[in-house]
Amino acid sequence: MSDLKDIIKGCLAGNRRDQELLYRRHASRLYAVCLQYSGNDEEARDILQEGFIKIYENLVHYKHEGSFEGWMRRIIVNTALEKFRNRNTLYRVDDIEMITESEAELFSDDYPGLEATDLLNIIRELPPKYRVIFNLFAIEGYSHREISKMINISEGTSKSNLSRARVILQRKVNLFTGLNKQIVNG
Amino acid sequence: MDNSGANIDLLFRNGLKDLEVLPPQGVWTNIKPVIRRKTRPFVLLRSAAMIAVVVSLAVLAYQYSRQLVVPSDNQVIAISEPESPVLNVNPLTAVIASSENRPINIPVRHEVIVAEESTPVMADVQKEEANIYLPVVSNISIDSDASLPEPVLALYRGRVLEFPASEDLKSEYLTDDNESVRTQRWSLSALATPTYYKGISFAADEVTRQLMASEQARVSYSGGVSFSYQLGRKLSIQSGIYYSSIGHEVGGISAYGGFRQFDYTKGDPNFRVLTSSGTIYTNNSDIYLLDRSGERVLTRYTADVFDPVKSDLQYLNGSLQQNFSYIEMPFFLRYKVFNRGIDLNLIGGLSYNLLINNSVYASSEGSRFMVGRTEGLNPFTISSSLGMGMEYSISDKVSLNLEPTFRYYLNPFTQIPGLKTHPYSFGVFSGLSYKF
Repeated sequence: MSDLKDIIKGCLAGNRRDQELLYRRHASRLYAVCLQYSGNDEEARDILQEGFIKIYENLVHYKHEGSFEGWMRRIIVNTALEKFRNRNTLYRVDDIEMITESEAELFSDDYPGLEATDLLNIIRELPPKYRVIFNLFAIEGYSHREISKMINISEGTSKSNLSRARVILQRKVNLFTGLNKQIVNG
Repeated sequence: MDNSGANIDLLFRNGLKDLEVLPPQGVWTNIKPVIRRKTRPFVLLRSAAMIAVVVSLAVLAYQYSRQLVVPSDNQVIAISEPESPVLNVNPLTAVIASSENRPINIPVRHEVIVAEESTPVMADVQKEEANIYLPVVSNISIDSDASLPEPVLALYRGRVLEFPASEDLKSEYLTDDNESVRTQRWSLSALATPTYYKGISFAADEVTRQLMASEQARVSYSGGVSFSYQLGRKLSIQSGIYYSSIGHEVGGISAYGGFRQFDYTKGDPNFRVLTSSGTIYTNNSDIYLLDRSGERVLTRYTADVFDPVKSDLQYLNGSLQQNFSYIEMPFFLRYKVFNRGIDLNLIGGLSYNLLINNSVYASSEGSRFMVGRTEGLNPFTISSSLGMGMEYSISDKVSLNLEPTFRYYLNPFTQIPGLKTHPYSFGVFSGLSYKF
């Protein structure tokens, strides 16, 4: 912990070595978050880059209360949301194929062979709005009320989009695990 | 459905919890140059000032050492000078020093006598032990080494030389010098400088100290035109008109744009921000301000009733820029310490400063967003200045100036009782002067 404090102090003093050390230590964890919120690698790279610049700029406000990684993660998520808000007009969720409730019957608790990278790839295949809402609700733990204000939609839209996102994810997971089962069973 | 939904949520939450992916190499390369290295302008400028002082002292010492010490293996000539300012005694006694290596003193005021005919003076001088009598053709007052040819300077300094006192030389260098000194009393200068600005607070209260701790000096600038009139050989008065822009960065206050749609009040400023220079009142209803590290922002839209992030406001910056512009009228005295190749002047006096612009803004991606203005500032301030001017003559009339100057504001920056902040600034003025 004191090591982290020293690094933060060094970053605040403009020490290049400490700034790089902070990046090297946390970049891979935060890049995974960026990938969760972005549909392509270029966008993820931009989020990480802009997010880290904000982290350095706002280090002076970090009060050493709570998790430092959590604090950095919030900045990265906010940066991803800014990008999403800027590009939101380009995406039309309405065009996405309708999912019938019957497909919800496909939900299962058995997910053999699913790695974290598989989950990441599956989540990145979601349409942007679904992906953001699912991430904010399921991963970050925000309520629909909070999400509605964060990305300027109604609570109802947030709920319905989450529901659709879950169905898509479940179908993809089932497809993936089904394929795995087929491969395993020969 | 709900349970299934929760299951899929948990699957992703737990599965992605510890995921790490190595980012591409280029990301850090792009971040590195953008991160602001903490600037230490005060340290840098203090170092610059120290260097300027040391260089000036070194030049001063070198010039005086050249006057006081003569190389040991040279025959030297001391030119005797009468008490009267104009030497018109004929013949002139040129005294040859003995072979003892005596240092000689050459008075500050110099009257040089030049031989009428082309005569190898030193050759003759070296042969004879007795005094030499030379006919006088003209008397010259030397105000600057730069105005004399090297042969004359060398004689004046006691060097061994041949002295080609031709008619051309005399007419070129010796005839009009007195006249030019008499006439070039006026000087017009154009000077500019980046300025480091900071405040000193004489208030004992903790609040002011905390306010000042969150504010950082910005490198500002100052520039203008001045004229000076030479009162005597060393003393001159200087005045003119300058424009200066100073200010500082109020850190820890986040500014957001897009607040107009949520602003339900009309007329009154939405936000007030306490600073060591006064209170900032917002006049842009589209701006939302949030103090993340204290209670400097006074507003009805506090963080517990309004969240700028959830309201989708556009984040602009984490600090505010306070900017004050002044028109200055300086009244300075300049004292010439010496006038060798580089003139050195001590400059001191007072400036009368009139506040002409007072603005606060937030910057974002190269754009400025007006926030408001600072209330409670003194519209009229007096500052004292002390500086050292170095002047290098490019020609008879034009010279290059370098003036490290320290300035201290005598009256408080703000009229608000309790906030006794006296700013000071340091700048190195540079520019050109024209004598006429």
